[in-house]
This record gives sequence, C-alpha cells and structure tokens, in this order.
Amino acid sequence: MLESRAMTTPADDLAANDLTGLLVDWARGDKAALEQLTPLVYDEIRRIAHRYVQREREGQTLETTALVNEAYLRLAGSQRVEWQNRAHFFAVTAQVMRHILIDHARRRQYVKHGGEVQRVSFDAATRDAAVMSQPRAAELLALDEALNELAKIDPRKSRVVELRYFGGLSIEETAEVLEISAMTVRRDWRAAKAWLYKKVTSDE
Amino acid sequence: MTREQWVKVEAVLQAALDRPAGERVSFLSEACGGDELLFKETNSLIEAYERASDFIEQPAITRDARVLLADDGGDKLGSRIGPYEILSRLGVGGMGEVYLAEDARLDRRVALKLLPAYFASDDARLRRFQREARAASALNHPNILTIHEVGESEGVYFIATEFIDGATIRELLRNHDLSLDEILDIAEQVASALAAAHAAGIVHRDIKPENIMRRGDGLVKILDFGIAKLMEPDQLEPSDDTQPSRATHTESGLVMGTVNYMSPEQARALPVDERTDIWSFGVVLYEMLGRRLPFKGETRMDTLVAILEREPAPLTNVANNYPQLAQIVETCLRKSAADRFASASDLLVELKQSKQQSAVLPSIAIHDKVEAQALPASRRFAWASLSVALILVLGTAAVMLYRRPARQSALDQPNAIAPVEKLYSQMDEAEQLAFIRDQEQHISSMMGDRPAKLNSEALQAIKKYVDQYASQRGVNGEETLAEVYARAPQYVPLIARSFGARRVPVIIGIYLPVIESAYRPCFENSIGAKGLFQFLPQTARRYGVSPEEMCDAEKMTPAAAHYMADHMAELGDDAESMTLVLLSYNTGATWVRTTLRELRDAGDYQRNFWTLFAHREELGSNFRQEGAAYVPNFFAAAIIGENPQNFGLPLPALSTLTDATPSPGPDQSGRRLATRQKVLFIFLNSQDDLTGDFRHDNS
Repeated sequence: MLESRAMTTPADDLAANDLTGLLVDWARGDKAALEQLTPLVYDEIRRIAHRYVQREREGQTLETTALVNEAYLRLAGSQRVEWQNRAHFFAVTAQVMRHILIDHARRRQYVKHGGEVQRVSFDAATRDAAVMSQPRAAELLALDEALNELAKIDPRKSRVVELRYFGGLSIEETAEVLEISAMTVRRDWRAAKAWLYKKVTSDE
Repeated sequence: MTREQWVKVEAVLQAALDRPAGERVSFLSEACGGDELLFKETNSLIEAYERASDFIEQPAITRDARVLLADDGGDKLGSRIGPYEILSRLGVGGMGEVYLAEDARLDRRVALKLLPAYFASDDARLRRFQREARAASALNHPNILTIHEVGESEGVYFIATEFIDGATIRELLRNHDLSLDEILDIAEQVASALAAAHAAGIVHRDIKPENIMRRGDGLVKILDFGIAKLMEPDQLEPSDDTQPSRATHTESGLVMGTVNYMSPEQARALPVDERTDIWSFGVVLYEMLGRRLPFKGETRMDTLVAILEREPAPLTNVANNYPQLAQIVETCLRKSAADRFASASDLLVELKQSKQQSAVLPSIAIHDKVEAQALPASRRFAWASLSVALILVLGTAAVMLYRRPARQSALDQPNAIAPVEKLYSQMDEAEQLAFIRDQEQHISSMMGDRPAKLNSEALQAIKKYVDQYASQRGVNGEETLAEVYARAPQYVPLIARSFGARRVPVIIGIYLPVIESAYRPCFENSIGAKGLFQFLPQTARRYGVSPEEMCDAEKMTPAAAHYMADHMAELGDDAESMTLVLLSYNTGATWVRTTLRELRDAGDYQRNFWTLFAHREELGSNFRQEGAAYVPNFFAAAIIGENPQNFGLPLPALSTLTDATPSPGPDQSGRRLATRQKVLFIFLNSQDDLTGDFRHDNS
C-alpha cells in the first residue's frame, strides 16, 4: 500500500538538465548513461580529492559527503536539486571512485609482477608507486574481489559497503540511496564487515 | 556459500552481534543447536568482526586521495595544447588546473588554465564563458591580468594569460608583515583596477586574497576577471524583485569555495553589481589591516550569518590613528550596497587621500590584538534574511534529516485520494486516515523513523490524537503561533549556531520552541526562544542557567543544545531516530534506552519511536504519560495541517480558505491551527518539498 512511487520523470525534465536525465537513465539501468556520467563525475572526484588533500595539509578534516554534495550542485547547475537524483549521484560517485582506485591498484600490481609493465609507461608506473603502497594495492584488490563475491549472495550489503567505503556516505545517506532504514544499513554494515574481513584475511 | 545458506548464517550472526561480546559464543552454541557447520561459520564471522576493528571504517578517500590526484596532469607535463607547451604545474584554482607553459609562436611564457571537462560539455555555459572571457580580455589595465587567448584544442578548453612571477596576497599575508604603506599601495592598485573594470561594465564577483597577486617589482594584478560568474550556477529568473527565489537561496546555502569575502547580496543570492566587489575589497583591506577576517564563524553558515547580521569588530589601532582609513573600510562593509561607495573610483579617491594623510603621520603598529566577538548588528531582522538563515539551517540539517517519504500510489488507492483542495475537516474518515498515514510516513521518515508496519490500530490512535488536538487547540486560548513565528528570526541563527556546534540536529532546536507552552511570560516579553527546552530549574542550573535566566535566549539555547547532545550521547546507536531523542528529552534517555533493550530482548523490535508506541500498553506509566503527550504534541501537530499547500505566505489566502470552510471550532481556531502548522512545516520542510510531498495528486 505504501510503496514508494517509481521515478517517472517527464521527458521535458530530461531536456532541461543533462545530468538529471543521465542519472534517471542510469537508475533505470542504462549502461550508456553511466559512460557519459563517468567523465563528469570523475572530474569532480578529482576536485574533491584536491580539496581533501589540501585541507588535510592545513590540518582540517573534511566530510567527503559535503564535497560530493557540492560536486552534485556544481554539476546540476541551477536546476532544482532533486533529492532522488542526488542519491543517484552519490551512488554513481561511489562506483566511479571504486573503479578509479581498483584500476590504480591493478596497475600497481602489474608493476610488482613485472609481467605487463609494457602496458604502462615507466613514468606512470613510478608515479603510481609513489601514491599507493604495495600492501594498500593488495588490500584494495582483495576487498574488491570480496565485494564481488558478497554481491553474489547479498547484493544489498555489497552496495552498502560500496556507498560507505568508496562513496564516503554516512549511514543516513546510504539509507536514503538504497531506500532502506538507517538501522538496516547499520546491520548490513556490520555483517558485511565481518564477512569481508574474514574473506580478505583468510584468502591471504 | 549460497544465498540460502547466507540468509541462515546472517540471522544467527545478527542475533549474536546484538549481544555483548562476552555472551556471543555461548549464544551461538545454543542458537546453532548442534549444527556444527553453522556454528563454525558464524563463529568465524564473529571472530572476524571482533578483530576487524577499524577495517573499512574510514572511507577510502581518506587514504587514497593522492591516487586520485596522481592522474591529474602529471601526464600533461611536456605535452602540447595548441601552441602551448606545458612546462610545470602552477596550481589548482576554482576553475581547473593552471600550468606554466610556453607559447612557441611568441617565445613567451604564459599561465595556461585548463577548464574542467564538464565545463566543455555544457554548450551554453561555454559560449557564455567565451563571451565573458573575451570581454575581460578587452580590459587593458596594468593592474588586471592580461588574457592572451581563450581557445580550444582537441576538446580541451583553455585560457592563456600573462604569467605573473609573484605572490598572491594570501601568501603575502601568510609569510610577511605588510606595512601600512604596502597595504595602501596594494589597495590603491586594486581599486584602480576595479574602477577600470567597472567602467567597462565588468564585475569581478570573487575578489579575495587568492585572486590578487603582487609581482616582485610591486605591481599588483587582479586575476580571473569575469570568470567567477561563469562558475556560479545559472541565475534563475527572479520572479519577484523583493523576494528572491528559494531555489537560489538553497544553492547559495551550499555555495562552494570560501564564503568569507562574499557580500550580503551574494550570500542572499540576490542580483549583484559592482558594489559587491567593493564589499569584498573591504573584507580584503580589513584582513590586511587587522590580520583577521571581519566576518568569521565556526562554520560556513555561521560566517554567512555574521555577514548578514553582524558588524565587524572595530580595527581600533587603525581607527585611532588613521580614522579616514578606518572610515573607508567601514563604508565598504555596509550591509546595504546603497550605503557603500557608489563606485570604485570614489573609493580610489578616498584611498589616495588617506594615503596622503598617512604619509604625514608617524608609522605605528596597525595590527590590533584579536578582539572579542563581533558585535550584533541591529536586532531587527528582515524577512529575507530570516529565510536565508532558515534555509541555511535546513540546508545543513537536510542531509542528516531529510528523507523523502514513501508516497502513496494514486492508482493503488483510488478511494483514499484526498483532493488537493480538501481540508482535513472536510475529509471523510477513510480519507482522514489515509491522510494521516501519509503525513505520518513523511514525518517519521524526516525524523529518522521508518515504521516498517504501522498497523491500523496505531493509525487510529494517532487519528484520535489528531482529532482531539484539532478540537482542543482553538479553545485553549493559547498564544497564536503567528506571534511565535514573528519572533523566530531572533532565535533561529542562535539555534543554528548552538545546536550545529554540538551536532544536535537543528530541527530539534527549531521544534522545541514550537511545542512548549510553559514559558509564556518569556514570550510576552518578546524575548523569544523562551522554551527552547523545558527542563526543570535544577536541570537548568546544572547546565549553567539560573532561574532568572530562563527567558534569556542567549543563555538558554546553548544550554538546551548541550542538554540534547548529552541525551543523544546517552542513547548511543538509538539516537538515529530523532523522535526517540525528542522522547528522551521528555522522558529521560536512560528510560528510553532501557526500555528499548527490554523490547529487543523480547524479540521483535526496531530502534524507533513506533516500537515504543506499539508496546505502549505493556510499558510503564512513564511512557503512557509522556508518550501520550508526545504523540499529540508532535505528530498530531505536524499531521493536522489543514491544507499544507497553502502554508506558504501570505496569510490572507489561508484565512480565506478557513472562512470558506465549515470548520469545527470558532474561526480563530482554524486559523490558529493553520498558523501553528505553518510554523512547523516551514521549519521542518525546505521550500518545494512542502508542496511536493504533501500533494495527493491524481495524475
């Protein structure tokens, strides 16, 4: 009876704002939309990282969420901010962030194993080495793999972790994005944490 | 592991995790009842959980931000963009990365700014950018950074400007003591640049120490003319000259970058002209002279409130020795643009005079010691600034508090649709119930409670309270909420500061004054914020408020925030439900916590208000009294709002509506109710969500 209403955004809204449109398409499972979104989001993520590092130097802590929020507002421009879209944006951000980091960790692993160094320029490889330690790369790759495993038996928990760990979302926001209660998020989180920790430590 | 196995494992795991660490293993052996595999699996997970400590607790970015930066242009070094060869990276600005590059054609060095990719994907913005940048590049003034070229190469948009080998004012402020002469020299050059730009109709909009550079030879240059505007969200068409649109406010509430140099009109997202630059110039001048910011709060929101509301602490030494200069700063920083210098050329004239004056005076220390808090400006608070404050408040709280409620599907519930224009009192019982359920969902979700299954009994109970509430309110002769509302401007910024600083949801702070009635004398004294909390004199004293100070908002509000923060801390995990926090405020956090624990042990539970409500008969008199009071006071109050679509100002529309309706009480009651609701909803909701979420549309 009290189901949430499916997002039905009229076509004119799509025309009004590319981002809104892309997010809606993406939420409907349109992979092409994600491809278009990724560069936009990626650009913003780098900006976020800049500010993060900068504030860190100044000894300030910074809420990732606040930055993602800003990123969204920047991208959405003057369009009225639809919460639903913002939630989707958070989700995309988390995915992109995960993608970037895992990509990087993989490149880092290539360097270690030597086998595929030719695929990466020497400069790029040293640069990668400078910013991500070997153990960290291994840890990320193990986590990524474990998350994929978890997604097979419990997709929601895998998303909770993706949103919180890669997207930097709070419990509340994760709840919003997944349309579940904060309490469920907490419970999912602790179970997922146990599961993942067991997985990554036993596989090593 | 299969999904089915995992479901089983997880159930046991969760139940074990609900127990204290010491009891988990014994619980497992019992729960698994001889199922060795299940025990082994769950036990290893419990062990993993207990060992995991801070595993994945910190978001990845806290460790890997550098990775994201690594891709960031390292590979651009040595590459070529159009005619420019990139030599080194100079930094990152609001507009993208800046590189030192060489123009092969002219054999000169330039600063090359590359625009973010998303920028290029927006044609309208790009055209605007090119237009503005070209206009700015036409500015030919020694104190304005020369723009050589605005162009595009293989999809990368760039601006090539002259390269300045110097330091920004920010760097100068950080590393040097600027003498008065130097400050005046910088100020004069900046004012001169502003005068030229303003004469050409170009407003900078983002004057700040980072955007002003001084070369080794002392020549000052303003950077990024005409560019700040491009980075702002598109201006919405103002629908009404006096009442800026709320959407714009929201954006300004979450504006990026520093807000320290923002003019009041920028803070309010009003249209700006060249006088906004004069304000920002005033802030920079003040900062150079006083080595501190004129308007600064703990948070961005506090700073914005200070910009709108407060006068800066005087620069005493400057004022004593160089009154004319102090006067210039003061004139630049007038809240109303009309009271500032009308133009940068007027400002320049004054500065030159001041410079002559200072030249004949002995040089003395200009920096004051940091002075006490900025002084409150006039107590009067314009409506517009209230709405700014409110929206800032709500904007801040929104992420934490606002959840979009589940909406009813119109198709599924054809009979329960209340037409938009129908008032609560006009609905039949089924419609009222449907309305209540909808509202309750909305409020609950906003407060952090998501009732999984609110049964018809619970709905009926709320409805009873709502009806009671509706029939009683009018005749009690309480103060109309219009009066509370009118005083809100006095305490909203205070609430925002005090509650925000203690991480207590601002919504609670705003809610508290609305429900209480015990502090009427304070209201009558027009002091406002009387009942920011209702704790007993002893409790108040514990939080540093004497009985005589119970009407003193400046005292009461921070104490209330502190008190609430303590309650939340005591509730721990359960504090995620704001209604529980509020209930604990009435009933005592310990009681709420203990009760929840008991319910948890008994089986089916959720950490929210509805758990308690569902068990109200089994609970002690504690809940029956407080919970019973709580429901009508809060939920019913929020639910009853006649036709929420009409809660927006102005009032006359509401009263017309009420009069035209056969309402149960005297006319006054309907109006009073509606006013009460308006207060609540305007406080609880931001802008369009108000209409959006309450609409029972048939579409």
